[in-house]
Amino acid sequence: MEWRVIRLETRNAYSNMAVDNAIMEGIRAGSSAPTIRFYRWMPSAVSIGRFQSMNDEVNVEKCRELNISYVRRITGGGAVYHDSDGEITYSVIAPEREFPKNIIESYKLICGWVISGLAELGIEAEFAPINDITVNGKKISGNAQARSDSVLLQHGTVLYSTNIKRMFSVLKVSNEKISDKMIKSAEERVTRVVDHAGTTQEGLYEALLKGFTEGKEYQFDSLNGNETERARELEKSVYSSDSWNFSR
Amino acid sequence: MHGSAKMKVPNGKMVEAKLEYGSTIKRVQLLGDFFVYPDSGLNGIEETLEGLGADAEEGEIAKRVSEFTRRNNVTLVGVTPEAIASVVKRAMSDGMESNKA
Repeated sequence: MEWRVIRLETRNAYSNMAVDNAIMEGIRAGSSAPTIRFYRWMPSAVSIGRFQSMNDEVNVEKCRELNISYVRRITGGGAVYHDSDGEITYSVIAPEREFPKNIIESYKLICGWVISGLAELGIEAEFAPINDITVNGKKISGNAQARSDSVLLQHGTVLYSTNIKRMFSVLKVSNEKISDKMIKSAEERVTRVVDHAGTTQEGLYEALLKGFTEGKEYQFDSLNGNETERARELEKSVYSSDSWNFSR
Repeated sequence: MHGSAKMKVPNGKMVEAKLEYGSTIKRVQLLGDFFVYPDSGLNGIEETLEGLGADAEEGEIAKRVSEFTRRNNVTLVGVTPEAIASVVKRAMSDGMESNKA
């Protein structure tokens, strides 16, 4: 199987989700190649899991104040803060038959590519089921997978230099207001690439690229015309709409 | 009546139930950071609980959920039929308490 690799690109939250969805549809229709994609979010954004409530998980008012977008993902899992300069997101989209049927085993396989990438930077990370990657017990990467009509989509984020204080100003982790105690507690649970390796965000991307492509046949390419057009439609009709983002 | 309850599934994710019910469950919404494959399966689980008597035991609720998932080839990750049953029962207790108050 030959993979298409889409180099690190930057889009807004709605477009990022629409592109993953459009590729998924293209693979289902047989018109798109299995894809590994790397991306950033501009402006910064919060994404919530498929089954979460936007109002319960996200401080929407604060997001508006800080020009932070908010979007519902097609994948399950929890709320994630995507700092424009502070993380890299990947997606892997391919026919389901290419992966283990067992969900956890398939997470483990794809998370292994992230772990290989981090190893390039000298960071020893491990898979923490169900869907996390940790370094010394602290979370450095969260991952989420959807399967629909024989197509698998897994996307995940690797924390590079995420602003933890800003992260917890937009995520409703508890009913309490942000306190030093809470931020300290979050810091105890979360870690970032900059805490372990002296590299740039570009350096992290290059390392992840190596981890994801090692041993695979692949070529760099961009979206095809159908995907671009479909992504524009989905961005407008679904991912930027309140009916989708506030559906739960 | 309306009720809601939230719990952390042992070795799993968060799950919350928001209910509207009288003598039977009229509407169920399940929320959380769990995974359902395919994702359309969650709507089916919610619908399969609607119409169930408000006095249904946890075992009966769990059985409905597990029968639905088996029949429709739905896989739950981070949540179980037993956890859904437990949170639905707690949401009903919450509604009764709120009603008393």
